[in-house]
Amino acid sequence: MRKIILKTVLLAGVSMSMLGCAVNETATVVVNDDGSVTQVIESNSDLLASNLKIADTKTGFVGDLLKAQVEIQNDSDDALSFQYKFKWLDKSGFEVAIDGRPWQPLTITPYETQVVQGVAPNPSVNSFKILVQD
Amino acid sequence: MKLVRILAVIFLGLVLASCASGPKVSYGDATAVETTTTGFGSTDLQSIAAKLVDDLISFPPIVQMTAQRRPVVFVDKIKNKTTEHIDTESITDTVQTKLLQSGKFRFVDMTAVKAVQEQMQFQMDSGMVDPSKAAAFGKQTGAEFMLYGNMSSIIKRNSSTKDVYYKFTLKLVNLESGIMEWAGEKEIRKTGEKSFF
Repeated sequence: MRKIILKTVLLAGVSMSMLGCAVNETATVVVNDDGSVTQVIESNSDLLASNLKIADTKTGFVGDLLKAQVEIQNDSDDALSFQYKFKWLDKSGFEVAIDGRPWQPLTITPYETQVVQGVAPNPSVNSFKILVQD
Repeated sequence: MKLVRILAVIFLGLVLASCASGPKVSYGDATAVETTTTGFGSTDLQSIAAKLVDDLISFPPIVQMTAQRRPVVFVDKIKNKTTEHIDTESITDTVQTKLLQSGKFRFVDMTAVKAVQEQMQFQMDSGMVDPSKAAAFGKQTGAEFMLYGNMSSIIKRNSSTKDVYYKFTLKLVNLESGIMEWAGEKEIRKTGEKSFF
């Protein structure tokens, strides 16, 4: 019995430490050549799984630069503090300006939605991903 | 007695192993959120640069102006009005790099003027450079805009909490007309609490 409890505690500890380090892609948005937008939202992200939701994404162009807006919703009754980051990609799927944007800390109060925005680092960008980690 | 000996050997082995391995060094994510102290840090620098560059290149009159041409800008110093020693040139360097890489602006580097002058003097006077290939004096482009700004802070503390507020303002002025074409601000609030454990 004692062994089982020990094993369970150990497993829980290991899985918690793995979750703590996880970086999750929560949404991928691509602006196609014809101007249409393909949006993939990952609803089953490990991190903050039942609490955090991507409510909506919007894209537009300022001149020839892609502008992105993401609405992040806190579905829980606790304030959530986490970090987010935009990842910019060109038409061929290459990441543009790697490390160009920092992880940004964000806190959302219970059942509230916060909007985060970003502008692509140069005109070659046609898609973006939003990453979160706690 | 035997147990004590075994333990002593194990202890000695551990001490020697720790000496041999040296300090533990690891690489981290340069863009990670850094919260070591409430002082100005890498996350603040990166957040300021990202926000202000986004603001500048998406401001409608600037979008219109940079649609067909890449205006030439020079970066003046940022006044540090905080009580901390902050390398503000590092902030403007990051802003300048991001603006250059956006393909919307070009820059004249005033920090390299002396070195450029010396190199041109060498090309003209040393007799070692083919005169037809030497860079000629008086052909450089003058900047059309100046980028400058201020950084200030408000610090408040009580017995258990320290609250730091930073405000960074950046402005773009047309050198000929004196008109301020754009200004952007980034505010940062950090709170540190003393741990009693």
